[in-house]
Amino acid sequence: MANAPTWLTVLDETARVCAAHGRTDLIQWVKQKRAQLVDPKLRVLVVGEPKQGKSQLVNALINAPVCPVGDGLTTAIPTVVRHAEEPISTVVEGSGRDTTYAEIGVPRGLLADGLVLIDTPGADGDDLRAAGNSVAAPARADVVIMVTDATRELSVTEVNLLLHVVRSHPQVVVALTKTDIAPHWRLVAERNRQHLASAGIAAPLVPVSATLRLAAARTNDKAINAESGFPDLVARLKQYLTAKNDVLAPSAVGVLTATVIEQLAAPLRAELSAKDSEEPMARLYEAQRTLDELRRCSTRWQNTLNDEMTDLMSDIEYDLRERTRQIMRKVDDAFDAADPLRTWEDYQQWLETSLTEVAESNFAWLLQRCDWISGRVADHFVRYEADVVPEWRVNMPDLTRHIGTIDQPNIERFSAVQKVFTGLRGSYGGLLMFGLATTLAGMPLINPISLGAGALFGGKTIRDEGKSLLRRRQALAKTASQRHIDDFFLRLNKECKDTARWVQRILRDHYTSVTEQLHDAIVHSLRNAKQAADADAAERNKRQMELQQQMRRLATLYEQARELTVRPEGHAVLEPVA
Amino acid sequence: MRDAPLSESVWTLLNDALELYRDSRPATDRLRHHMNRFGEPLRIAVAGPWQSGKSTLVNALVGDEVAPIEAPGGQAVFAWYQDGTEPHAVAYPAGAELPVTRSTQGLRVDVGRWDPAPVNDLVVTWPSRALRHATVIDTPPVPSACDKILRDADAVLYLTRDGRGTDLHVLEWLQDGMVAKAAPVNALMVLSRADETGGGRIDALLAARQVARRHQRDPRISGLCLGVVAVGGLVALAGRVLTDTDFAALAALAGAPRTEVENHLLSTDRFTVAEFPAPVSVEVRRALLDRLGIFGVRLATTLIRTGTDTRAKLAAELVRRSGLAELREAVSRCFIDRRDALRARSALAALESVVLAEPRPGSDALLAELERVLAGAHDFRELRLLASLQGQRVAFEKELTGEARRLIGENGTGLAARLGVDQRATASELWRLSSAALGRWQEHSEDPLFDADQRRAAEVVVRTCEGLLYSLS
Repeated sequence: MANAPTWLTVLDETARVCAAHGRTDLIQWVKQKRAQLVDPKLRVLVVGEPKQGKSQLVNALINAPVCPVGDGLTTAIPTVVRHAEEPISTVVEGSGRDTTYAEIGVPRGLLADGLVLIDTPGADGDDLRAAGNSVAAPARADVVIMVTDATRELSVTEVNLLLHVVRSHPQVVVALTKTDIAPHWRLVAERNRQHLASAGIAAPLVPVSATLRLAAARTNDKAINAESGFPDLVARLKQYLTAKNDVLAPSAVGVLTATVIEQLAAPLRAELSAKDSEEPMARLYEAQRTLDELRRCSTRWQNTLNDEMTDLMSDIEYDLRERTRQIMRKVDDAFDAADPLRTWEDYQQWLETSLTEVAESNFAWLLQRCDWISGRVADHFVRYEADVVPEWRVNMPDLTRHIGTIDQPNIERFSAVQKVFTGLRGSYGGLLMFGLATTLAGMPLINPISLGAGALFGGKTIRDEGKSLLRRRQALAKTASQRHIDDFFLRLNKECKDTARWVQRILRDHYTSVTEQLHDAIVHSLRNAKQAADADAAERNKRQMELQQQMRRLATLYEQARELTVRPEGHAVLEPVA
Repeated sequence: MRDAPLSESVWTLLNDALELYRDSRPATDRLRHHMNRFGEPLRIAVAGPWQSGKSTLVNALVGDEVAPIEAPGGQAVFAWYQDGTEPHAVAYPAGAELPVTRSTQGLRVDVGRWDPAPVNDLVVTWPSRALRHATVIDTPPVPSACDKILRDADAVLYLTRDGRGTDLHVLEWLQDGMVAKAAPVNALMVLSRADETGGGRIDALLAARQVARRHQRDPRISGLCLGVVAVGGLVALAGRVLTDTDFAALAALAGAPRTEVENHLLSTDRFTVAEFPAPVSVEVRRALLDRLGIFGVRLATTLIRTGTDTRAKLAAELVRRSGLAELREAVSRCFIDRRDALRARSALAALESVVLAEPRPGSDALLAELERVLAGAHDFRELRLLASLQGQRVAFEKELTGEARRLIGENGTGLAARLGVDQRATASELWRLSSAALGRWQEHSEDPLFDADQRRAAEVVVRTCEGLLYSLS
């Protein structure tokens, strides 16, 4: 009794811990175990597969045919055999099939000492696992006798059954029955011991023969009784009975507490080892990533804008020059043949129209390119799902003011007086030349021939003069056109460049403001995420401290429980009898 | 008369399948293999869990100690025993011939020559009358061997110690697939270690027989197998191979003072102690124990004491009591008599698995045709009805059920067995009985008091009766 307080204290502490964790299911279990351990009776559960001789083992243990045995007869409900002055038997109806059991009382010395034997139906498959809370549940027994017959070795299912029993129960005995009909039972016993050892089950193996035991009871033959192996089993059970308080109970409590603590600790451990709650941190990282991305995006769109604008300006200028050159070429061609004097009016009109056309198409192209560039830059913002393309459009300005009117160059007209004078001057040489020649022939200086020659020379001179005047006029007109077109080019080019720069500025301002808005939003969410993460970390730290405290308490209890199971004097009592 | 159309339609079906799968080597191999099996003896697998007495039963059936063949490294090997003039053994898939010797101990296969190549099957040819109609296969323990059993065997003797739930699972598992479900019964359950019933009491075999009968009435079991037979494998084998020396030793035991000997027969330890009341050496006693078991020794000494005084008589008596005769009778009635149906069933099952494994255009039609054959074959309808009647899924009054079961061939498919009369009955008597049965069952099949299932069952019986009359005419 000296040790009673230790295991009782541990058990009660376990119950309190369970209550602290709010595990009512476990409390119930602990309470039930406590009631069972405080009870001085030793509950011995007999389990095993069907037809191994479980009932016969119970009968042979107490030398009375209390459990029905027979060929093909199978124990249907658990049978509890306990001491009674007069033989009695009752069936205790439970709420269901699982909780119904038979109770048999017989006057037997062994039972009077406090032994309660529980015969169970054969565990065919998973039955025992489902035993739950019935009298046949291994958790409610102090000792479990696993019955296997000697005609074959332990099967895999039997070893699994044993492993299941061992988990909830510290004291297991394997009874090898029917040794009387198995010639090689020693070999089987040896093999079974190896199987048990390799499965890590610390259970003694006791070979018994119920047939021999019952035969011995009939003839009262001590020798046969000894051969049956039952005295060994009975001695073992008696030993457990006396040692219940000192050895079985502490080790039962040890195993129980360890199991309970495992169950309690599992969720705590899971919570402790759980990675930092992912969500707030993930949001923080996400926000930071977005910010970096925005920075990169900002550089990218600026580069795009600058590059595109530079390209645009050079393209527009080239285009304009190309177009004006073409006009110039046409002007040259025209004035090679035409007389500005007669065609000036038409020409002026044509030039004006052509230049207007050039200005409009050039500028239209510029505007188109600007829109396109705006789109290109906006592409960088696609990921932000914001509609960032500016609403604004550049309108076509009035371009005619750049054209102006071309002034008619100062053109020399070939007047009648000039013609007469020029004619006279030309005819003079001819008249004189031919007059002198004809005087040799005896003619007067002025004669019809010389007059005719004078008229011929005069006419030619007038025609020559007219031609050179025309050429001069044409050259003048070309020069004037050239100058006009150059002026036009200069003015329009300036206008285009200004417009382009203006657009660039507008776009830059627009996208800068968009970037800033985005930046603000991201920074805001980053701040939020950071706050959340901080709050979460604080909360977690607090919870972790709590958990660690709880774990420490459990660990202390676990240590106590372990001490209960490994006390050396406990083992000394559990050594097998000689 | 009734088997011919089934075999024919199965044969046609296999040929159709062969045509459809002519470019697939594995499929044609399997189909051809099953076509060849039509001409071979029925294949009966002896299956069961570990240590359920499979090899012992194979030996008892064959009548010689041919099993088990220990494979090196504990390999799981299917050992096939077939009839032949000279004993020899071939290991497959390598096809290597292994030297065998025949001794008083039975068969010895020289496993030293076992090639390191994996061996799945070992085909042993052994001259034995018992193997004439059926090839017996000794299998590794279930459930790992289930697949191969399903593939290779036409019928299964399922061995168990006590017919518990896990055995039923295996039996259910052995009937996987459309074909197996349509013709569900190709298995017999054998309580194979009947001599251990009740701790090896002297009436253990009788008790085991009662257990078997009880199992047979259990609808859960009878729906899965054709019958339950209790066999004391060790006793049966001992009876078949009992030697004169064995008999002399047993006679010496029986001759010694009874109480003293019985005292020593309480347990195996007591039987093999040095000081013994009878003049039989410890070695001989150990050998007896190995051969007969403690129960066998008890039974044999009791028999000798009560007048079974020659070796032949004792051997016959041991065989009779072991239940081996009943098992043989059941095998002959359930398997050998219905071998064509069972072989057709195996072929159809193989065809089903081929079609399911390699679906292709046309295989659906094949499957439909297979289903039609399954539904139309009267043998299968009989087997199905028998299973339903045994599993009590369909029930008439007691006498009617009994008659229906008899007519559709529970006790054997011979005319006399179906009609429940002596083998020597005259043709005119058989005719009279058949037509009477036909009339009765025709009435049942139209009886408005029966439900649809019962009427359908009655129609099957009517068809059987018509077949009987046809075969008589």
